[in-house]
Amino acid sequence: MKQFGGAFAILLAVVFCAAGTVHAFVFTDPAGLYSTQIADSWVYQAHHSTEHLVVFYGDEDSALLYFERLGTVSYLSAWEFAHRSLELYRSPGGLEKFEMVRDLAEVEVGGEAGVSCAYTYQDGQGNQLWEYRVFLVLPGGEGFSIAFSDSRPEAADDPRQLEEILLHWRWLF
Amino acid sequence: MRSQYWSRYICAVLLLLLGAAAPCSAAGLSATFERTLGAGTAPSLVKEYGGEYILPIQERLRVEEVFARLAAQSERQDVQYTLTVLNSREANAFSLPGGFIFITRGLLNLIGSDEAQLAAVLGHEIAHVEKKHGVNAIFRQLGLSVLAEVGAFALDFLSGDLLRAAGLALTQILQAGWGREAEFEADALGQEIAARAGFDPVGAISLLEKLIQAENSEESMHIFRTHPASGERKKRLEENLAEYWSEPDLVKDFSALERLKQGRISDPGGRTDPRARYVLEGVGHPGVKLVDQQNGEQVVWAENAFVKEAAWSPDGTYLALLVDAESLGELWLFDRWGRVFRKISGLGEINGFCWSPQGDMLALEVPGSGGLRIVAAYLYAEAFVDVSGGRQAEEAVWLEEGLYFRSGADWYRTEPPQAVPVRVAEPVPVVLQRKRILTPTLVKEGNTFRLTRPELTVP
Repeated sequence: MKQFGGAFAILLAVVFCAAGTVHAFVFTDPAGLYSTQIADSWVYQAHHSTEHLVVFYGDEDSALLYFERLGTVSYLSAWEFAHRSLELYRSPGGLEKFEMVRDLAEVEVGGEAGVSCAYTYQDGQGNQLWEYRVFLVLPGGEGFSIAFSDSRPEAADDPRQLEEILLHWRWLF
Repeated sequence: MRSQYWSRYICAVLLLLLGAAAPCSAAGLSATFERTLGAGTAPSLVKEYGGEYILPIQERLRVEEVFARLAAQSERQDVQYTLTVLNSREANAFSLPGGFIFITRGLLNLIGSDEAQLAAVLGHEIAHVEKKHGVNAIFRQLGLSVLAEVGAFALDFLSGDLLRAAGLALTQILQAGWGREAEFEADALGQEIAARAGFDPVGAISLLEKLIQAENSEESMHIFRTHPASGERKKRLEENLAEYWSEPDLVKDFSALERLKQGRISDPGGRTDPRARYVLEGVGHPGVKLVDQQNGEQVVWAENAFVKEAAWSPDGTYLALLVDAESLGELWLFDRWGRVFRKISGLGEINGFCWSPQGDMLALEVPGSGGLRIVAAYLYAEAFVDVSGGRQAEEAVWLEEGLYFRSGADWYRTEPPQAVPVRVAEPVPVVLQRKRILTPTLVKEGNTFRLTRPELTVP
């Protein structure tokens, strides 16, 4: 009976562990710039992705994750890059009803210093969206951006899914 | 009021004749006058065309970059160029003295992402300002051509009435255009400014063709109201193209010649499909025989023609066929679905051809009265350039570093104008929204099921 009890405990532990594990896959940028681990629920969108842009759809209706390479930029820092971008997002022709949700803050992605922030805006159909974004200027002067967007405020307030991705981020240069 | 006007006028003329204004900077004063004149007319023009249109961020950055590159090529450093996008569906562009350039969103939509065409239209408008076509037309209208000839440096004295009269004249002239010769001059200088700024000068021709095509199908094409006949403009722009190709140089680098030979041996006629779908089985009559490797079926393209030669474009987008049409050579370009994309004819006979490495041009071997010559044909514009520079040329091979042709025992190399892609120095990341996934739905109708087409909503 003791033996069965022990085996049952192990089985329970395995079941609980399995329930707590998020299945993930390793995504490597086709151009060989970076690699990270992404939860299985994110689906790569080949149709929307290009040489410079990698797009994933999440399991929520508007959950979106995308990484963009902007080529060589003249910004001297990620702060400058972020300030200029946010200035244009809030300007006429930018994002409708743009509002900052989380101020600019330093963040580290795969050992590179970047700047993160979160904001909200309205899309063309009048839906309010929240977006968490990281700006980076990589060695060699390449601009890079990581964005996580959703129709739920959690995308900006508590972007756990993105934090997991950033935690496993590796630069391949 | 009127006596004051005349006294100022006479005073200015006297000042001009006496040279009293000599210590002043002539160019500076003239630019100030132009700027004042343009600034006075701009608001009514913006209002007439539905106000200013703010472009979305990414497009705005791209258009501003193209404009900045062109303005940097301006020879008149006394002019401060500004660009305004007008909120009108009409396809049009204007310039006002003082560097005010306008383009409608209708014309921007028509141009799309073609940077060479955008540079062509903006370069044309900058050229009007460079050549002072607006000011000269006003002076002619007001009978002040003497002043214009002497130089407009004392015109700052003529504020008030004259400026109002000039503004009124400017509005009237704008409706009629700056004049036929001014348009030709702006075409040529605009093309030159665009080429200097690193844009392909053929953009002016392809834009003109696009405008002609749109003019036939749309009502909102008012750009031709004020411009001379398009055919004549196109002819002159095409004649200018040769100036932007480099002068053919005698090849002394034998490694290049070696590569030429290797290139010809590895794929003599570009017969291998770069996308590895079709196998070219043979050319002749009827047409060209291809085997589609996806289904193993044989297809025949140009089945009613005698095909002398066939070659795929480097990226496999087109298959070019040299066709014997009424004993003259014609080049037929087929897309991958076997449809004729374009026929190149009107050059007389074509003996042979080769593709440019980018697949945007073809070098044609064309017999002329003085022997064979090499003519470059553009793919996206009806334009041809004789690149052999008056030499007899027998054979052409196009490598990355330029177009080579053989004249007697010597090889020469020439290069097309180099286009520099637009790169925004301070880009901002795109902001994406998820596209709605459209799934067909299954509807039960009695004992049968029907698949319904989803409603398309464009975000």
